[in-house]
Amino acid sequence: MVEVQHLTKRYGSFTAVDDLSFQVERGEILGFLGPNGAGKTTTMRILTGYQPASEGSARIGGFDVFEQPIEAKRRTGYLPETPPLYPEMTVFEYLHFVARINDVAPGNRTSQIGAAMERTNITDMTDRYCGKLSKGYRQRVGLAQALLHNPEVLILDEPTAGLDPRQIIETRRLITELAGDHTIILSTHILPEVSQTCQRVVIINRGKVVAVDSPDNLTARLQGSQSLYLKIDTNGVDPVPTLQGIPGVVNVSSADYREGLSGFQVELAPNSDVRREVARTVVTNGWGLLELRAQQMSLEDIFLQLTTEEEPEHEDVPQPGASSPAGYEKPTEERIDG
Amino acid sequence: MGNILALVQKEVRGYFVSPIAYVLLVFFTLLFGWFYIASLNLMLQLSGGNFGMGGPQVVNVNEFMIRPLFGNTAVILLFLLPMLTMRSYAEEKRSGTIELLLTSPLSDFQIIMGKFLGALALYTLMLALTGIHIAMLFQYGEPEWGPILTGYLGLILMGSSFISIGLAISSMTKNQIVAGVATFAVLLLFWIINWIGDASGSTAQSVLAYLSILEHFDDFSKGVIDTKHLTYYLSFIGLGLFLTAKSMDTARWNG
Ligand SMILES: Nc1ncnc2c1ncn2[C@@H]1O[C@H](COP(=O)(O)OP(=O)(O)OP(=O)(O)O)[C@@H](O)[C@H]1O
Ligand SMILES: [Mg+2]
Repeated sequence: MVEVQHLTKRYGSFTAVDDLSFQVERGEILGFLGPNGAGKTTTMRILTGYQPASEGSARIGGFDVFEQPIEAKRRTGYLPETPPLYPEMTVFEYLHFVARINDVAPGNRTSQIGAAMERTNITDMTDRYCGKLSKGYRQRVGLAQALLHNPEVLILDEPTAGLDPRQIIETRRLITELAGDHTIILSTHILPEVSQTCQRVVIINRGKVVAVDSPDNLTARLQGSQSLYLKIDTNGVDPVPTLQGIPGVVNVSSADYREGLSGFQVELAPNSDVRREVARTVVTNGWGLLELRAQQMSLEDIFLQLTTEEEPEHEDVPQPGASSPAGYEKPTEERIDG
Repeated sequence: MGNILALVQKEVRGYFVSPIAYVLLVFFTLLFGWFYIASLNLMLQLSGGNFGMGGPQVVNVNEFMIRPLFGNTAVILLFLLPMLTMRSYAEEKRSGTIELLLTSPLSDFQIIMGKFLGALALYTLMLALTGIHIAMLFQYGEPEWGPILTGYLGLILMGSSFISIGLAISSMTKNQIVAGVATFAVLLLFWIINWIGDASGSTAQSVLAYLSILEHFDDFSKGVIDTKHLTYYLSFIGLGLFLTAKSMDTARWNG
């Protein structure tokens, strides 16, 4: 449904998108994940015909976005990063305008506008001026605008940005619902969003694809490298050199420190389970062992690992262990601004 | 076609919800009214008070009243019309709504036409209000219809030229104030371009005189439709719209 081949976008000497290729099948939801400035918005703008690519091609429903822009645009609904609302129009007037420029037949306009407003939960804002809407409602009107003309492909740039927790859940449900007869590409830096809604993830960093896979596979792929969380009472002795001496331990870093008790992040070499050795070392040194548990890499960790290759990871990056999988249930999510 | 209409309606609406339409309509009508009274007084003096009193009409209403009035109107427009177009693209670029238009199944031509015809619609309304003053002249004297109609045609053509240049400039910036000031500066330049012509050689002078935007207007208010002037204004409008299209394309590439 959407084919992107060797897409490159340069601004002067700066390359914002670098040789990007991927495909999205009909009915699929593709998550576009990457830190700030990765090139997500730029890619989406090329797909929607807002700006041309420097090299490469993109097709929507078989139509080249550059050669046959009108045909491609007819099949696309787009929610830009900033919802493009006219402040002086009411929500209904705005959606009516959008219906007209998208060639929705006059007889269907009212019903399609109504359907879009119901799906995005904005029926109570029908006569409110767009300029007077709150951030979340602007986002929802933007979403209504994108799906109003029933496009085959939906391109959503951070669809849940600015929504309250309840609306985030509603919007994700809506996106999942829409997926059946629409093909969806959404961008986000919110990782749980991807694992909850998308069948496939494209992780990009500095304009390049660093991984394309399903959220599950991505997690599995890096399952090999695990880490331990260790909480011990050492009576003031620095245990790091001793712990690092254990074979199979790659790195030890301080995770937290409170009331004389130190928590450590112990990274292990792939496929080595040295929990017993670690426990033995702690005990033989006469320290108090308070907690020892294995940690699985979350999607968040994978994301950080893939997008922060060369940097010395453990200084400036939030501790991967700080966000346990349980953190996913939290209604307000952390954003990664790698 | 339906799409262009939707865009035109959106533009006209935009004028009326912002103060711009009212400011333009009020000031244009006031200024026009002021010049109207001034030239009416002048004519009354010239006619020795006979005008409209049933005495013999010694002054030609068209020559002494309508022609200078149209001439002054052209100058008012030079000041006011940049306000009509300064928002059109600049504001959409600033607020990001241009992204909606450029990703909808609309051609650049349709977008440009929507903006051009929208501005032209409001401008036509401005001119229509002056029709009241002109109609009153028929109460007092017997002006000829011909020069009045051609005068209005001239005003429409000249105003459209102003609008097309204003659109081109508005499409080059995100800042509507910059767009307004730059449009005014460019129009002013086209107005005074023949003033320096006097000192230079005769060919240069005639070229500069040909370029002058007001120079071409006078014949219209005299009741003459000269293809030379018609060509000038139509080319000017064409050039303005062409530059707008070019600028939209450039903006697209530079993202
Ligand atoms: N018009 C432009 N001129 C020059 N550089 C640009 C332009 N637009 C974007 N860029 C650069 O291209 C890069 C990619 O930007 P883009 O907006 O696509 O990132 P993003 O992945 O959407 O980031 P975010 O998560 O912050 O939205 C950035 O470094 C940005 O500064
Ligand atoms: Mg972005």
